[in-house]
Order: sequence, then C-alpha cells, then structure tokens
Amino acid sequence: MKTQNLDAQTVRVTELPEVTAANATEVRDGVRAAITPTCRILQMDLSQTAFLDSSGLGALVGLHKTLRQQDGVLQILHPTPAVAQLLELTRLHRLFEIVEK
Amino acid sequence: MLPAAGAQAHVNANASEPAPDPGPTIHLNGWRASPGCDFGPVRSATRSARAFMEACGLSETEGAAWELALTEAGNNAVQHATEAGRKLPIEFEVLCDPRSVEVRIVDHTPGFDWPEDPTLPEPDAESGRGLFLIRTLVDESRYFRHDSANLLVLRRARETPVEECAPASREELAAQLEECDAALTNMTSELASSYESLTALFRYSAELGTGGDLKDFAGRLVGDLLLVTGADHAVVRLFRQEPQRLELFLTAPPGDAVPPEVLVPHKNVCTECLALATRQDIWFKPGHPEGEGEPAPGTTASLAGICHPFFVGDKPVGTVSLVRDAEEQPFTAAQISLLHTFVDFLGIQITNARLLEERTQALLVERELQIASEIQRALLPDALPRCPPFVLAASAEAARQVGGDFYDARPAGDGGLFLVIADVMGKGVPAAFFASMLRNAVRCLQSLYEHPGRLLTKLNTGLCDDLSRVDMFATVQVAYLDARRATVITASAGHSPLIVCSAEGRAELVSNAGLPLGIEPDTVYEETRLPLSPGAWALLYTDGLTEARAPDGTLFGEDRLAAWLAQPDQLKQPAPARRKDLLRTLADYREGTPLSDDETFILVCHRP
Repeated sequence: MKTQNLDAQTVRVTELPEVTAANATEVRDGVRAAITPTCRILQMDLSQTAFLDSSGLGALVGLHKTLRQQDGVLQILHPTPAVAQLLELTRLHRLFEIVEK
Repeated sequence: MLPAAGAQAHVNANASEPAPDPGPTIHLNGWRASPGCDFGPVRSATRSARAFMEACGLSETEGAAWELALTEAGNNAVQHATEAGRKLPIEFEVLCDPRSVEVRIVDHTPGFDWPEDPTLPEPDAESGRGLFLIRTLVDESRYFRHDSANLLVLRRARETPVEECAPASREELAAQLEECDAALTNMTSELASSYESLTALFRYSAELGTGGDLKDFAGRLVGDLLLVTGADHAVVRLFRQEPQRLELFLTAPPGDAVPPEVLVPHKNVCTECLALATRQDIWFKPGHPEGEGEPAPGTTASLAGICHPFFVGDKPVGTVSLVRDAEEQPFTAAQISLLHTFVDFLGIQITNARLLEERTQALLVERELQIASEIQRALLPDALPRCPPFVLAASAEAARQVGGDFYDARPAGDGGLFLVIADVMGKGVPAAFFASMLRNAVRCLQSLYEHPGRLLTKLNTGLCDDLSRVDMFATVQVAYLDARRATVITASAGHSPLIVCSAEGRAELVSNAGLPLGIEPDTVYEETRLPLSPGAWALLYTDGLTEARAPDGTLFGEDRLAAWLAQPDQLKQPAPARRKDLLRTLADYREGTPLSDDETFILVCHRP
C-alpha cells in the first residue's frame, strides 16, 4: 500500500492487491494516519485490487465516515470488475463516489 | 474424509500421511484444506480453492463468487471460534460435480442462526455484510449446528455443465463397480473391527479398579482378543517370584488342551521364557522346532503365532501367546497393536488384583492387632482391691506392638494380698490369648496364694505342654504379702527381680528366678521370704521398665530402679503419687523416644 498527498486537500492510496479480514484493520488505520486535517478528498485507487471481502468493505465505510467528519469525500478510483460488482451487490456504489476509468 | 483424490484433485499439504497402500481409488473432483483458525491461513485456503475450481473448468466469475463466499464463511468461522475452537483447524471441502459445485465448511463456533433471507445493514455500517454475501453468491445454503462443530454446506450450479464423458463400456463399469465394492468392503471391515476393539476397550476401562473376579475378566478379554486378531488359540501365563516360574493362568478358547502348568526360566527351553527374559515379542512359525512347553495348546507342530511378554512398570507380569493354525496369514501390524493394547489392560487389572490382596492382608493384620489389644485391656483389673494395711498403685503402658503383659491383685488369706505380674513372650492375638489363659489359671489356684512357689510349679505343669507346642513362654512373678507377719513371700519364673525397700530406705533385689513357664514341665519353683515391715515398699515390674532406653541407648536398669524406690524423701508419699513419679522418671529418661516394650508395674506399700 502506498499513500501520496497530491495537494493539501487530496490524499491518494494506491497499490492495494487485496483488502480482506486478514489486513483490513491495518489498511484502515494506515490510511487514517496519512489523512491530514486539511484533507477533503481521499482517493482509494482500487485498479489493482483483485479481491475485497466484507471486512474490506467495512474498512472503506470506516474511511468514508472519517472523511465525512472533516467535510470530505471518499472516491474510489478505477475499481476492478470484481470490486465494482461487489460494490453494486452491497449497494455501496451509492455511498461512495466511484470514478470509472 | 474423502478417499485419496484422483488426478484432477489437489491434496493440500496438511493432509495426513498417505497410507502405504491406499487400496482401490475412487476418482472424484474433490479438494480439501484444513487451515489454522486465523484470517491469513483461511485466505490462502480460499485462494487455492478458487484455483482448484477454475482448474475444474469453472469460469473466472464463478471462481470469484466462490472465493468471496468461501472467504466470508471462513472469516466468520475464525471470528466467532470458541476458545477451544481456536486451536482447531477450519475444514474446507470442495466437490466439483459436472453440474454443480458443493462446498462444506466445518467451524468450531457456538453456531450461527442462519437467516433465511439476510438483509444488508445500513450503508455506513462497517460490518454485517458477510452472511448476505454468502446467500447472494450461492444457490443453496444449509447450516447444521452441533455441539462442538458446525457444518455449512453451500451449493451453486455451474454456468456451463461439463459434458459427460463418453459412456463407459459395460466391462469398464463392471470393473469400476467392483473397485468401489472392494474399497467399501475394506472400509466396512476396518470400521467394524475398530468398533469392536473400541467397545471392548471401553468395557475394560470401566472394569479397571472394580476388583471383580480376575480370571473372569481375563477370560473375557482373551476371548475378545481372539476375535479381533483372528487367532485360534491363546495361552496366558503369569510370572511368579521365588522360585521364578511362569504359571499357567488360562487358555482360550475353553476346552483347549492344557499345556504344562509351570515353566521355569533357565530350566525349560521355551518361547515364553525367552520372550519374558528378552522383554521382546517372539514370533514362531510353522515347522519351527517345538520346545518344551510350547504355547501351542495341543496342536501339532504346524503352528504359527506370537508370544508377547507384558510388564507393569518394570515388573514382569506374564506372557500372552496367540496362535493360529498353520497356513494362515501372519498377524498384521494392527492386530499386534491390538494384542499390546488388550494385554496392557490385562496387566493393569492383574496388578490391581495383587495390590488389593496385599491391602486386604494388611487390613487383617491391623484387625488382629486391634483384637489383641482389646483382649489385653480386658486382662487388667478395672480397679485394684482395697486391702489394708497395704496400699496399691499399678500401671500398664502398652508399647506400639501389642505384647502379653498383665498384672493382677487379689485379697488372700487372713488380711493378706496376692500379687502377680507376667510377661508372655510373643505378640499379637496368640500372646494376648495366652496371657488371658494364664491370668484365669492363676485365679483358679486361689488355694495356693499363700504358697507362691507351689503355685508357680503347679501352673507350669499345667501350661507347659500348651505353651511349648506354640513356642511360647512366659515370665511370672508372684508375691504373697502377709500383714500379720509383716513379710512378703515371693517366687519367680524367669521374671525380673522383685525390689523391696525398708522403711529406712534400704533397697533389696530378690533374685530367686527359676526357668520361665513353658520351658521344662518338671521345674520346681522356690520361695523367698522377706520382711515387709510397716513403711516398707515393694515393686513388681516387667522388663519394659529396666530396659527403657535413653537416647544414647543406655538402659534404665535395675539399680536405677532400686535407687528410685529408695529415695528417702519419697518414702512417705502416697502410692498413687509415686506411681505418677515413676512414670515421669521413665519418660524423662527416654527423653521422648517412644516405648519399645510394655511398661507394667505394681507398687505396694505396707501402711498400717
């Protein structure tokens, strides 16, 4: 996992091969640590994420709530088909801002 | 458990070691894994499950759906595992049929309420989507709850059913059927034999320590052993010490010819002695030279079998030999292991029975000592007679082991007092019993109370036969105190000297002892007459007093006892006070070391 501050308001997270129960807490806390108080947009780049389970979804929801507290949004960038399907299946595509390729 | 998987199946690394001969194989598209109870291992397992499914021809979409369903189910199993369950693996089984895929997951959780129609939680809930995903991703799910493990069965139809292979020829089918049949028969017989053995072992466990009839127990055990090992005969021998020998305990089945009753190691050349000596199983084969007392019960030379020596701890207990009539197969490793297990139970039960016997013996000895001490207590007079002008005090302290001390005091003649003190050599009930006889015999000789010598002579003549027959004897001191003449007449049969002390404090030891009672029937006992003027003391005692030991081993002795009696400042003391003082003096002398012999004495003072 890699986190970058694109500018004062934007944090981007990349290189997430999968987020599951095995690493969801670690991912969530790692990203939270990278979010600055001025951050308004958290971009989760899921273009390399082949597998996500309900715990991974939980981590995304948790981060979404963190951003909302500071008037920000969570964007999901380029989800793989598997992830996109999962988001739809769980109707979370309405909660997050999804940026397709 | 699935049978060994075929060519298309993946067998995970956790699977148990393959059996050397797997027997007939059944070809199924099966996969199984038993990851440890943690998210990481579960995730690796679900990844391989997907790989296996895709290798079986499932599409990527199907693979992804199954991977997610399996991961959710596995994560639930990890997250809700009981404390005991956390140490157990989670079990995954995948079966790919041509039309559908079935997955079974065993978890060790308290169990879930499996909802018929799970719903999604609120969008911003961070958990609670797992069951919904599982139900959505598969066609059918069933959850079976049990005490310690629960089973989740998931099924989903394949998108594209696999083409059935070309119908197999009749011969091929027949061959396959036969193969399956053989495998099943094999498994069934193995299961049946394990079941029988287990049932038998449970029964034996229940019987261990109940102390039922040993031979009966052993007979049933050996009978079962013949059944589960497929042996024709069995011979059980037990090892006995001094002299070392192997005694025949039982043969089975009932009605078998009886082999030699006793085998002696070193003397008899035989398989059983050799097995016991080398502490190893010994096999014998058809045609092997028959030694003396071979285990084969009455069969001809063509016998095959095994002799198993058994031990409890390090101690040899015996041997069990199993014999088959010739031409049959040798015993398998499993049968030998059953032999060992069954015989272990037998060894424990035999040892239990022997310990029980020893304990019963110890209880009998204890009971005997108790009876003896009760008899002894009954020997002593409840209260000493009042017999003025004589004042009496007496004491009997029994040592740990019951002996045969007693004393008696009887009024006699015209203002006289008759005293007797005795020590029967021997212990336990016989000594106590003879002491009782002796006391009654003395009481019957009332007419001779004034003639102690004649009384002892008569007593010895009457009892000598009985006493010598059982190798017992008794030392006895009798004394007749005559108030009118102020004398004491005494006679002794091997007893410690009487001590007399004058009112002026002069002590005298009267050593007139003849042989103890019960040695020579013709012994004549002499009498000694001494003055016992007013204020004088006499002390009759057993050797427990003079042989009391100080911690350094020095004996109390007659001189010390005489000196105690003659203490000038004590001569005017009442008898009970002096009795107490003597007991205290002896205890001080021993300095707390326990009594080694009974301490019995009579203290008498002439006080007109």
